[in-house]
Amino acid sequence: MTILELLLGILLSGLRSATPLLQVLLGETITERAGVVNLGVEGQMLSGACAGFAVAAASGNPWAGLLAGVLAGMLLSSVHAFLVLVAGANMFASGVAVWLLGGGLSAFFGIPYVGRRIDGFASPDFGGAAKLPLLGPILRVATPSVLIALSTWVLCSLFLYRTRAGLRLRAVGESAESASTLGISPTKVRWAAILAGGALSGLGGASLSVDLVRNWVEWMTAGRGLVAVGLVIVARWNPWYALPAALLFGVVESLTLRLQALGVTISPYLLSTLPYLVCLGVLVWGSARARSKGGMPRDLAQVFSKTE
Amino acid sequence: MIRRILSTSIALAAAAVLLSGCDKKEVSKTGGADSAKVGFIYVGPRTDYGYNYAMDQGRLAMEKDMGIKTVYFENIPENAEVERVMERMIGDGIKIIFATSYGYLDPALEVAAKHPDVIFMHGGGFKLAPNLGTFFADIDEVEYLSGMAAGACTKTGKLGFIAAHPIPQTLRNINAFTRGAQSMNPKVSMNVVWTGSWSDPTKEAEAANTLADQGIDVLTMHVDGPITIAQTAEKRGIMVCGYHADASQFAPKGWLTGAAWNWAPLMEKIVKSIQDSTWKSANLRGNIRDGYVKLASFGPAVPDPVKTEIDSVEKAFVAGTPLWIGPIAAQDGSVKAKAGDTLTRAQIESMDFLVKGVIGSVK
Repeated sequence: MTILELLLGILLSGLRSATPLLQVLLGETITERAGVVNLGVEGQMLSGACAGFAVAAASGNPWAGLLAGVLAGMLLSSVHAFLVLVAGANMFASGVAVWLLGGGLSAFFGIPYVGRRIDGFASPDFGGAAKLPLLGPILRVATPSVLIALSTWVLCSLFLYRTRAGLRLRAVGESAESASTLGISPTKVRWAAILAGGALSGLGGASLSVDLVRNWVEWMTAGRGLVAVGLVIVARWNPWYALPAALLFGVVESLTLRLQALGVTISPYLLSTLPYLVCLGVLVWGSARARSKGGMPRDLAQVFSKTE
Repeated sequence: MIRRILSTSIALAAAAVLLSGCDKKEVSKTGGADSAKVGFIYVGPRTDYGYNYAMDQGRLAMEKDMGIKTVYFENIPENAEVERVMERMIGDGIKIIFATSYGYLDPALEVAAKHPDVIFMHGGGFKLAPNLGTFFADIDEVEYLSGMAAGACTKTGKLGFIAAHPIPQTLRNINAFTRGAQSMNPKVSMNVVWTGSWSDPTKEAEAANTLADQGIDVLTMHVDGPITIAQTAEKRGIMVCGYHADASQFAPKGWLTGAAWNWAPLMEKIVKSIQDSTWKSANLRGNIRDGYVKLASFGPAVPDPVKTEIDSVEKAFVAGTPLWIGPIAAQDGSVKAKAGDTLTRAQIESMDFLVKGVIGSVK
């Protein structure tokens, strides 16, 4: 195995690990750019994973599973939107409620689907190409959910920086007051941003259960939704940086497994903390360099600095 | 401000109410709950093809063989919740409770003290009360047999073991499996990957993919459920040995065999002894000789001569041949048991090393 193949292998398995994270991270970035934090993404991811697996199992169609994941994520995020935007609840408390709600509901409704078999996406037959040294591994990793995540990354970034709607969304996140003097309804924009975040976190969960793991287990996301909330800060609220941030976590996580498989004997307890340590390191390094809030939307900054 | 606090607390209360009703599910198979006699409590879903599934297979066999009515609760967390479930079962007239998860031990002891007329059987614990006993089995010998299939079938000579945490139980399984594989092919290597969690399917799938990338062609595992790893192995076109239960349907081509629990004979023995009032509080333990553990079905990839060889070693174990007999050397070559010596019970239960041929960390 050449060095190039080794590095490509690490990058590709990192991409596989990063795929669900990337979806959630992009969704949360959009939500936060509109000025709302949603800690419920973990629960939305779980509901997406559960609904996605259930529909894929019932229909035999993994695409229908992904769609169901999107809808389940949106449905749950609408609870957060209602509590925060209509009832005026504290966004952190509401997020935690949505997180636990999603976990509990998915564990309950998921019981009949534990131990069910789904086929997932059929691996296309690339013939001889699958055996080529560099192309083969790339083709093997490029499953539909990985490709969807990469396209979402480009689309979200273009949306936020190159469209009028994206501009309005950012305006609301910077200052809801100024935006409303321009005739933009902050509440409407925030509803849309929360629902978009719900759709993407649900899709991230469904990518896991329907495509990458092809299995449903209660609480299967194992904290990845919350990791994504943290990675939003690492990515400095910029969707273009979402891919490198998610990849950073994914590569280190898969590297901890790969190093063991290569026979490096490091304590597994230390290894499993590495992805978090590395991301924390990058965060500290990035903040030290920027010496500012690091791209945090201004209205959001108020949530952290001011107490009512 | 008050409105905010109010709506927030309403949200949290709503979540709490929904959650408390979420994790449990009661089904009494035949008749109402009042006609049921034996209750089972599982920490996870009974369809996980893992630990809970194996326990539930014992329950189903008991219903079929003994005509006993049973009740089960699944997804019950190891906290005060399980005490409530036990109280509720007792309120419904249940007189025998199988508390199958390790963390149920202390709650079961508390409830048992309050209800001396109810008999509790706990899976895996080592504490007793006048009306509480424990049961479990050693699966080491079956891991060895499963490893024989892996050692005979591997083409690359590289095996992979995906496990949660380095504790004596997992180390015993890895060592037994590896020794079985080495008995068929002394040159095999065994790569261990720790996931750091009993249930993290994402990492399990990634670990399986990573091991497949390294040219490993037989995987096995010690995590809560074997499904993710079995399916990933099948997708990558490599072979797999299972754990806990027969999961061959998740890897129709690559399934070799696996180490599985067989709780029915033990559970039926316990209930019979309660029925004819010969039950005594004890720590019941068994192994392959008692039939409490068994080899899962063989997959199509295992050749007949290999099956015959595994059968004969199984018979030898049942006849009393010890598994942990020297020479046993650790990874670094240090001698753990000289030729002909056997490890003591205490040494086996506190195993803290990996045998020679295993690549992986134990700390």
